[in-house]
Amino acid sequence: MSGASLPTAAPAPVPAPATKRAAFPARALRWTRRLPLSGKVGLAFVLFWLVIALIGPLLAPYPIGAFVDENVFSPASRTFLLGSDYLGRDVLSRLLHAARYTVGLGAGAALLACTVGTGLALVAAVGRGWVDELLSRFMDTVISIPSKILALVMVAAFGSSLWLLLLIAGLTYVPGNYRIARALAVNLNQMDFVSVARARGERRAYIALSEILPNMLHPLLADFGLRFVFIVLLLSALSFLGLGVQPPQADLGSLVRENISGIAEGAPAILMPALAIATLTVSVNLLIDALPHRGRN
Amino acid sequence: MIGDGSSPFSRRDLLGAALGAGMVATAGGILVPAASLAAARPQPRQGGRIKAATMSLSTADTLDPAKGSLSSDYVRHFMLYNCLTELDRTLRARAGLAVRMESSDQRVWHVRLRSGVTFHDGRSLTSADVVYSLLRHKEPATASKLAAIAEQFRTVRADGPLDLTIELGGANADLPVILAQSHFAIIPAGEKAFRTGNGTGPYRLAAFTPGVRTLGRRNADYWKPGKPYLDEIELIGIPDEVSRVNALLSGDIHMALAVNPRSTRRVNASPRHLVRETPSALYTNLIMRQDQLPTSSGHFVAGMKYLMDRPLIKRALFRNYATIANDHPIPPFHPYYRAGLPQTALDLDKARWHFRKAGIGTTRLPLYASTAAEGSVDMASILQEYGARAGLNLSVSRVPADGYWSTHWMKHPLGFGNTNPRPTADLIYSLFYKSDAPWNESGWQNPRFDRLLVEARGEPDDARRKQLYGEMQGLVRDRCGVGIPVFISLLDGYDRRLKGWHPVPLGGFMGYAFAEHLWWED
Amino acid sequence: MSASPASRPHAARNTLLRMIAGRIGAAFLTLILVSLVVFTISDLLPGDAAQEALGQSATPAQVAALRHEMGLDRPAYVRFGSWITGLAGGDAGQSLVANMPVGEIIRERLPNSLLLAALTTLVAVPLALTIGISSAMNRGGRLDRALNVATLSMVALPEFLVATIAVLIFSVKLRWLPSISMLPEQATWGQFFETFAMPVFSLCVVVIAQMARMTRAAVIDQLDRPYVEMALLKGLSPARVVIRHVLPNAVGPIVNAMALSLSYLLGGAIIVETIFNYPGLASLMVNAVTSRDMPLLQACAMIFCAVYLLLMLLADVTAIVANPRLRSA
Repeated sequence: MSGASLPTAAPAPVPAPATKRAAFPARALRWTRRLPLSGKVGLAFVLFWLVIALIGPLLAPYPIGAFVDENVFSPASRTFLLGSDYLGRDVLSRLLHAARYTVGLGAGAALLACTVGTGLALVAAVGRGWVDELLSRFMDTVISIPSKILALVMVAAFGSSLWLLLLIAGLTYVPGNYRIARALAVNLNQMDFVSVARARGERRAYIALSEILPNMLHPLLADFGLRFVFIVLLLSALSFLGLGVQPPQADLGSLVRENISGIAEGAPAILMPALAIATLTVSVNLLIDALPHRGRN
Repeated sequence: MIGDGSSPFSRRDLLGAALGAGMVATAGGILVPAASLAAARPQPRQGGRIKAATMSLSTADTLDPAKGSLSSDYVRHFMLYNCLTELDRTLRARAGLAVRMESSDQRVWHVRLRSGVTFHDGRSLTSADVVYSLLRHKEPATASKLAAIAEQFRTVRADGPLDLTIELGGANADLPVILAQSHFAIIPAGEKAFRTGNGTGPYRLAAFTPGVRTLGRRNADYWKPGKPYLDEIELIGIPDEVSRVNALLSGDIHMALAVNPRSTRRVNASPRHLVRETPSALYTNLIMRQDQLPTSSGHFVAGMKYLMDRPLIKRALFRNYATIANDHPIPPFHPYYRAGLPQTALDLDKARWHFRKAGIGTTRLPLYASTAAEGSVDMASILQEYGARAGLNLSVSRVPADGYWSTHWMKHPLGFGNTNPRPTADLIYSLFYKSDAPWNESGWQNPRFDRLLVEARGEPDDARRKQLYGEMQGLVRDRCGVGIPVFISLLDGYDRRLKGWHPVPLGGFMGYAFAEHLWWED
Repeated sequence: MSASPASRPHAARNTLLRMIAGRIGAAFLTLILVSLVVFTISDLLPGDAAQEALGQSATPAQVAALRHEMGLDRPAYVRFGSWITGLAGGDAGQSLVANMPVGEIIRERLPNSLLLAALTTLVAVPLALTIGISSAMNRGGRLDRALNVATLSMVALPEFLVATIAVLIFSVKLRWLPSISMLPEQATWGQFFETFAMPVFSLCVVVIAQMARMTRAAVIDQLDRPYVEMALLKGLSPARVVIRHVLPNAVGPIVNAMALSLSYLLGGAIIVETIFNYPGLASLMVNAVTSRDMPLLQACAMIFCAVYLLLMLLADVTAIVANPRLRSA
């Protein structure tokens, strides 16, 4: 650690009032230009995957369930740009279809987890002692329920649907986000500026939303990025249990999972979906890390 | 009757040759000659320790043969115990602990036990042990897997120290074969605790931890001269297929049960290993319930059978390690297979015509599949794909493997089942196709079939039996709401140094009974 | 508005002790609640132990008989009541499928799980702290970016893929390490290392990223505060500032993230246990779910919950001790 220098000034930009009047594309461009390189790369990939999620199926050369290759785990070729999978289906087509499930469900569930988790954490932080106690114990109970049982019970009770998948994937990560957010919020709640606000007679909701939340946004976003990764990976496990995405459709994680026997021969059928997951999740996190953040300086 | 010419039957390798030489099958079993065909076979060697891995790893692992439900149980039980009979590679019964089993009416059977057989604790085998071992299956507390089959044992009584009589409820020419299943292994009379694995089998139990491992040491006093060959067998479970194959290829284990067809390329590419294929009657079948709409329509059933691209299923799902089936449960290599039956093949036009006749329209039909029924999810995808081309709107509903058999199996109009090989045609028909069978998967009713079944069961003449079973195959193929696309071969991975293997179509690992047959050769 | 952690010696140690006692009391309540919830929802699962034990080929009469044998025909509240009274007397009950007491099965598996978790912790925590802190101190620098992408990529790959690739390389290709982790009875240190190298590595890949990233975020969050600038202006070395001033303030979120990650090591080790065939608790519990072995399932759930609660308590206590402002809370 010796010799490491501390950056004395954060690269956080100070938005000039004039920018507010500029046209959106210009503003977006300027905002993008200010991002560090990693942020630009992240943003590019995130946009790329968003586009694929939206129009991917239109680009697919073959139907998603069509058995087009006599061989399995074929390498990339002119007919099959990314090779064929364990049943001889076109990997590229399946990938293009799968992206929307992973992007949509992953983002949705991560958002759900973080909104609920952080919301409850704020309530716990500014609320009375017993509220905090109650919520925390509740979360401890929830996290201790084996998620496999929960998933199986939900499927047995409500059948399988994408909404259920989103709900379960999200709920699984609520307690984790709650822990982290609560730790941050309780810390901030003891800060002088919060005490000052309380002394001013501000309402709890105001303190939570205007004083505490903005100051914990950055670590929370970092947490969101990781939850997104975990959820993307969890989706395939849940799909495997029979929850959610139904064949012949699949999410990216399921593509990796179903082609696992091609790993030894290095088939693109497993490498490409894995690469897709990696680029998607890493870029989301790179972008989040590069976001200019406002601390209470 | 099963005869035992006293010695050469300890060498299982001679068996194929012996049967090939045209042995006569007689009433109630087969006659195996005493003549020894000492072929130029490599001489088995003694010694060696191996590790074998099955795919199950469960705290339900048991030493109680009646409770055996997983591959690891069957292997373990064949290591520790013996049955009255044993199965050869064509699933015919041979002498085991019984030297003779005979009946004039296929209903009352007289059994003569081998003398001089001892349990691992030194006690001698007597008819009382057999009576106890068989009758306990009828008690609910035993929770026997084969309780349904054991119901036909009306009485089992000892006639002398080595003689006993089994009286059945009805004639059954297959009894010797039925008794060769590991569940009917012979344990000492009164055994209840099942902690020591005390049997008459080729290995003594040295260590047993449910869900972890079983260690067997060579039983030097085994009643088959010279056998077994290996000094020690450690049996473990590796449920994950990729891990199992990796363990084999890295030399951590020497035998791997149930290798995925997609892994065969890897195993065969290794100079030290090979995949051994056992063609079997295992199948995953489409179930079209005959008591629910719209699957009860004969046109619908016929249409679905035309919708199956059997060569594609064989190639894509099983990498050609399968045998094309014809919507009935008897595989081509079965002695009772009816050769002349026309093969149903993919025909979208005929399928479309049948669906139109059935009046399905474009109603969305859920098709339930689960990893619990091997390959069913992919089969469902294939059906859906072709269905769309034949104007049928199928939607695949993948459900959890957990609880599949109790919650989903046979409960939906369209679903999948998976049936393990059974030792006799009678068993498979009685359990899955008889009108009042508990697992009459499609719920079809066919009085003619039921009559033929009972007739064939008591029929001593083999040619006549074959004819009866042949007609039943036609009935199932044409009328039953079950679609069987292929029979799935059993694939095991072996270290090449393990010798003495031959397939037993009942299961991998030589019908789970490899322990006393294999030897190690560096 | 200096937020430097001025220690307040008068901050009552009693408050802390009272809080710990309260939490332990609450932990017991939580455990009971968890057992009740787990029992209830697993009771909702289709099928029961009798049905699963007899499998596909069971007749209703057989199932009913076995159900009676296992005592499953009693109402749910009676079963729960007898289980929990048994537990209060130190008896976790008899496994419904394994023909032995639950306690015996757990005794065999728990040490395995704890060992794997402990080894992983020993490797992962120092590594994560180092990565997180050095990233934060080099914020925006080359090292930061490299570490960032490295940790992210590690966590972005499905766990089973990482573990499988490791096996392919080190067991199948190089034959250096065993592909399945079953420790021989009298293991040498070499065997010990070989057995655990890959499972520990695979688990580290999963948990390090979250810990490292939270550490980085928390440290950066503090670095932006005025007191840091002030300390630096006073001429303190950056390393000293981080260790003496920043870490104590950042410790709350860090230990929470660590506790969360580490709690994953018991129940979440399922994939690693599966791939390396390691006989731990996670696979035991999955097994218990599948076979509907309720006493065993309950015992596993209790253990996971207890370990989780313990880790959370440790995290909270650490946070409070490190940041005295919280003591009065």
